[in-house]
Amino acid sequence: MDLRDMLHISIGNLWRMKLRTFLTASGVVIAIAAFVAMLSFGAGMQENVAEQFNKLGLFNTMIVYEKRTESDNERRHRNQDDEENIEEDSTSVNDSLVVVDMIIKPLDNEALKLLSKIRGVSLAYPFESFAISVTIDDSTYETDAQALPLDAYKTKLYSELSYGEHLKSDSSKEILLTDQFIKDFNIEFPDSLIGRQLIISAKASSVDSGLYAIVKSDSFNIIDKVKELKFDSLLNKDYVSTVLKTEANDAIGRFVDGYMNRNEIVSDTLIIVGILDNGTGRRTSSKQILIPMSIAEKFNSKGAGRGMMDMFSMVSGGQIDLFNQGSESKSFSKITLNIEQGFLHKNIADSVKALGYRPFSYAQEFEEIQQIFLYFDMGLGLIGLIALITASLGIVNTMVMSIIERKREIGILKSLGADETYIKFLFLTESGMIGTIGASAGIVFGWLISRLGSFIVRSFMEKEGVDAIELFTMPIWLVLTAFAIGLTVALAAGYFPASKAAKVDPVEALRSD
Amino acid sequence: MNKLWIETANLCRHYKRGTSTVKAVDGVDLQIYQSEYLAIVGSSGSGKSTILNMLAGLDTPSDGTVHVDGTNLFKMSRKEIASYRADKIGMVFQSFNLIPHHTALYNVEMALFFDDTPKDERIAKATAMLESLGLGERLDHKPSDLSGGEQQRVAVARALVKNPTVLFADEPTGNLDQENTNQIAKLLKDLNKKGITIVIVTHDLPFAKENADRIIRMDYGKIVEVIKNGGSNGSA
Ligand SMILES: Nc1ncnc2c1ncn2[C@@H]1O[C@H](COP(=O)(O)OP(=O)(O)OP(=O)(O)O)[C@@H](O)[C@H]1O
Ligand SMILES: [Mg+2]
Repeated sequence: MDLRDMLHISIGNLWRMKLRTFLTASGVVIAIAAFVAMLSFGAGMQENVAEQFNKLGLFNTMIVYEKRTESDNERRHRNQDDEENIEEDSTSVNDSLVVVDMIIKPLDNEALKLLSKIRGVSLAYPFESFAISVTIDDSTYETDAQALPLDAYKTKLYSELSYGEHLKSDSSKEILLTDQFIKDFNIEFPDSLIGRQLIISAKASSVDSGLYAIVKSDSFNIIDKVKELKFDSLLNKDYVSTVLKTEANDAIGRFVDGYMNRNEIVSDTLIIVGILDNGTGRRTSSKQILIPMSIAEKFNSKGAGRGMMDMFSMVSGGQIDLFNQGSESKSFSKITLNIEQGFLHKNIADSVKALGYRPFSYAQEFEEIQQIFLYFDMGLGLIGLIALITASLGIVNTMVMSIIERKREIGILKSLGADETYIKFLFLTESGMIGTIGASAGIVFGWLISRLGSFIVRSFMEKEGVDAIELFTMPIWLVLTAFAIGLTVALAAGYFPASKAAKVDPVEALRSD
Repeated sequence: MNKLWIETANLCRHYKRGTSTVKAVDGVDLQIYQSEYLAIVGSSGSGKSTILNMLAGLDTPSDGTVHVDGTNLFKMSRKEIASYRADKIGMVFQSFNLIPHHTALYNVEMALFFDDTPKDERIAKATAMLESLGLGERLDHKPSDLSGGEQQRVAVARALVKNPTVLFADEPTGNLDQENTNQIAKLLKDLNKKGITIVIVTHDLPFAKENADRIIRMDYGKIVEVIKNGGSNGSA
């Protein structure tokens, strides 16, 4: 009597009780299918997040922000915003209109120098963006431009090109478009754009034009204002504050008016050399078009391209010194650090903090995400496990029934020379078979469910215009784990009944009719 | 006289039921010799089946000992007792005890599960055994498709297929007509001549007298008479 005989006997017995076997195994099938489908989702999520992060080079990127004196709550709120809207810098700047922050240390050229000297930082470059108009042939598009130093194109974040090549130097009259740009403006043959000319232009508003408007505007006469004042009420604190408030609002209105309307156009003609692959959807922090540093400098020095609100918030935040608009005091909304392989993000983050800035690292973030996935997986696994426990009670029930019915058979086997180990093994084989059948079918069903889930998610994503991401994967470890769990639970469930079977008194069993 | 094979001393099997005690077997001293043909007779409830179960190590005595070939059976481990049953003993039960959902062939084949006989050899042996008992046409029949006599013969085939040293048979001819009884009687006689020890329980005293070397008569759990075949009588 070898294992093959034993399996043969078990299969025979299970086959004889087809319906019961089917029902008992169904419990395992459902549990394992749920377990597999859910964990497949977890595994897919985790795999994809890692893949996306890695593909975009986010694992060797750290963003540095200015540190502000905010309450912890506000900062936490801001942190969330920043992480979600890395590419939408304008919104986070708008936020600072609401929360009046005090900047402890500005992110200026000095900061850039210090940050680039941190050990492990291979490159530090500021994030600068402009609102500009782009004219290709007869079409004009309103979009955002970003300037990057040449070295930044060597980092993973910006190295992938869909078409063409990179900018040749920081001062060449060239421009890179992005997939995002192509997509947003529905351009049909992006490759035909390579080598073509394009004109970028921006309204250059200066702070001066705004300030001038505060003092002198068509509808404003300082004498009339003075006449309106009630001098005897000036001792009243409330009256004074009301007057000041009205006046301040008035002045802001006039500043904006002047800023908006008294401006000139700055423009340049550039050649399209390539199209950057920044994927569809909001995945990278690159703006829609990328211009060389020297072009950016030119636009910048004329005050071009900054949105009005942008400018206003910078003034209110102290980022722009109204009376000294020199280049030394220019500060950036953020600085990107490219981190060399093998350096711990935590150490670099500590150095950044020591310099008085606020670091944000995707790698550190990823660890937290992984932690969340771990809990998520554990939660899902637990649900599957509860289903499995229910299924295992079904197995116990079936096995106990089977043993009661086959008491005489056990007695006969014992009289023929079967020892207790054999009887125990015989019944364990049967429950193990139930587990094997259930787990195998469960894995197949779980896979089918995950395919269905994947199909639904994918078609939904495609409908939403997002790159479809595979959220369900079935790594081999998952299949093996599911199988092992199904089998183990079935064997554990069968163990108690099998031990009971082994202890059956043959004399009593053989006497019973 | 042949070698002493099984020896019991003060063998008892008492069942306590509340205040009363049923003494199914009560102080039996019995010697069974190798290649002996022993018949146990006695009225119903006199303890014949109970003795057989204890000799086979299936039942545990409440007192006394059973020695098999010099070894105390109930000092052995359960595993050793199991292999004693597997290797040495063939049993025919009073109520056949065939497994109803298996075929005649499979029921017989099962007896060879526990001694490493390969599958095809098991089937060959079981088939030959059933054929020799006139059941060659019945191999694939379930017990419920067989007559009482046929079931009886399947049970005998199962006991004999592994060539036991000792055959314990509880009423092996109880359900058989004269022709089948004679057939079984001849089979047992032939086996005995080949050296197999036979212990048979029967109501049929003429059958016992015709076949057995020695007859033991039991009453109320005790041996009340030992009849040496060939006329020599003695009391226990
Ligand atoms: N588990 C038990 N509990 C109580 N009494 C029992 C039990 N098993 C057997 N007995 C009793 O022991 C006595 C002997 O039973 P046994 O089966 O050995 O008789 P037997 O001689 O084989 O009878 P028969 O010729 O009818 O088969 C009977 O009186 C029976 O009722
Ligand atoms: Mg009996």
